[in-house]
Amino acid sequence: MAGGRSLLLAGVVGALAATAGAAWLHEIRPRSVVQPAAQTVDARAEKPQPPALTADEERFATTLWTVHREATRSAVALSFAGIIYQAEDRDARALARKIEPLAKFFHDAETQVRAMSAPPSLSRTQVQYVDAMSLYARAAAEMLKFTEDGDSQRLQVAHGLDMKASEDVLRVGEVLWPGQYKPH
Amino acid sequence: MRKRASRIRSFALTAGIAALAGLFGSTAQAQQPVCSAWLIESSRFMNVPFGSFMPDRTFVPGSTKPESNIPSVDLPVNIGVIKCGSELILYDTGWKQQDYLKMTGSDHWAPLPDQLKALGFNAADVTKVVIGHAHWDHAGQLSDLPNAVLYVQREELKAIEWALNYPEPHIRAINSDPGGCNRTPACGYMPLTMEEVYGKVLKGKAVIVDGETEILPGVRIHPAFRAHTAGSQLLEVPTSIGKLVFGSDAFSSYEGIRDWMTANVQQTDTVQQFLAYEKCYKITGGYNNCVAAHEPLSYTDKYPLTKNSWVALNGGRMAELTLAPGEKSRKP
Repeated sequence: MAGGRSLLLAGVVGALAATAGAAWLHEIRPRSVVQPAAQTVDARAEKPQPPALTADEERFATTLWTVHREATRSAVALSFAGIIYQAEDRDARALARKIEPLAKFFHDAETQVRAMSAPPSLSRTQVQYVDAMSLYARAAAEMLKFTEDGDSQRLQVAHGLDMKASEDVLRVGEVLWPGQYKPH
Repeated sequence: MRKRASRIRSFALTAGIAALAGLFGSTAQAQQPVCSAWLIESSRFMNVPFGSFMPDRTFVPGSTKPESNIPSVDLPVNIGVIKCGSELILYDTGWKQQDYLKMTGSDHWAPLPDQLKALGFNAADVTKVVIGHAHWDHAGQLSDLPNAVLYVQREELKAIEWALNYPEPHIRAINSDPGGCNRTPACGYMPLTMEEVYGKVLKGKAVIVDGETEILPGVRIHPAFRAHTAGSQLLEVPTSIGKLVFGSDAFSSYEGIRDWMTANVQQTDTVQQFLAYEKCYKITGGYNNCVAAHEPLSYTDKYPLTKNSWVALNGGRMAELTLAPGEKSRKP
């Protein structure tokens, strides 16, 4: 009987210790800012995370990045050449001077990326990037033609090609460099 | 008798002037619109380390101090919807989370036209878009607002162009590192976003603003240069609860404005950010009517202006900030 009481007492003490331990762990664990319960929809657990790149894929991503860094800048420079022409100077010659090196860059980038050796798993990604460089090059060519014949429709066409190219480059980026754009 | 008549004439004259003054005064007041305003959560950046958003709130393991015991926060990306008479104005436009840009760690995005529809508005009815700055998460989706005229500061465009042409490649890069650019001058201006800005310019639907300007009676753009980016701008809006000032990332955090802490340092001069905070205090008389872009406490009682909130599309939240007389609530 006395043994049974001891066992019961030990059980109660154990249960209390476990509860206290759990409470202590709960209190010391770092927490995010509390969102209102009804408004918290945490879908993170359900979302599949992109698989990590293999060593070969990582090598390709690193090699392509050297082109990508300058391609991103050049794509924005293409838009800016158009913005400055429309909003500031309306100087076709100045526009041509800005576009010519960009047209050359995208043409060279297309060739350079096409020549890169991508692992089979990224061959589609590589083609997508090559096509995007080609679209940018065509957009730059349209803008250059505009500086010669003044047909403003060419700028609209070039803008459409630009948008498509940038969307494709973002698709590649989501595979190779998912962290390239941070909250701003 | 003559003296008395003169006194009566003088009284009548004074009364007449006072009546006219009152009449003109009330006419002027009637011309100044009182606007309604809502807040839309375009998306939410999940689990952002608090210290990367607000350096003074950096997490210190084991600390019990309230300013350093929160490791991460979820940051809303807020868009202001402002209705002044027949004009529908957006302040910032969020970003487009398509399959080509999932942005790991972001949630609750819904297309802006759908979000406007949930509020009872049509995207085609948006007349003006004021972007606080041209970063990708604030100036996206412009092509979904076909009739809106874009307002952007010349200073913002000049600074991007300067950065793009800088000889040092790390400074001129839009993306300096696969892990994200770290506050370089052109960081945050992604190609697709700038093409959307260019699209507005190309269609003749952009106003390049130089400093302060009034876009409607009482609705005023204020420059806040370098308060987040080179050409950041605020928007003052007259409402029935006093003036509101929308601040985009110059006002990233309501707590930051309230407690004088800098937030979301990108191309930011923190002194200029404090001066932007001060501008809100001066215009609105305090901090409660300053509308922040990424405040984690948005849509809760802890950010009182935004507490009249509800959950809308895809778990994103909305808030009714204030209604003009006669304007019906759009809260479901």
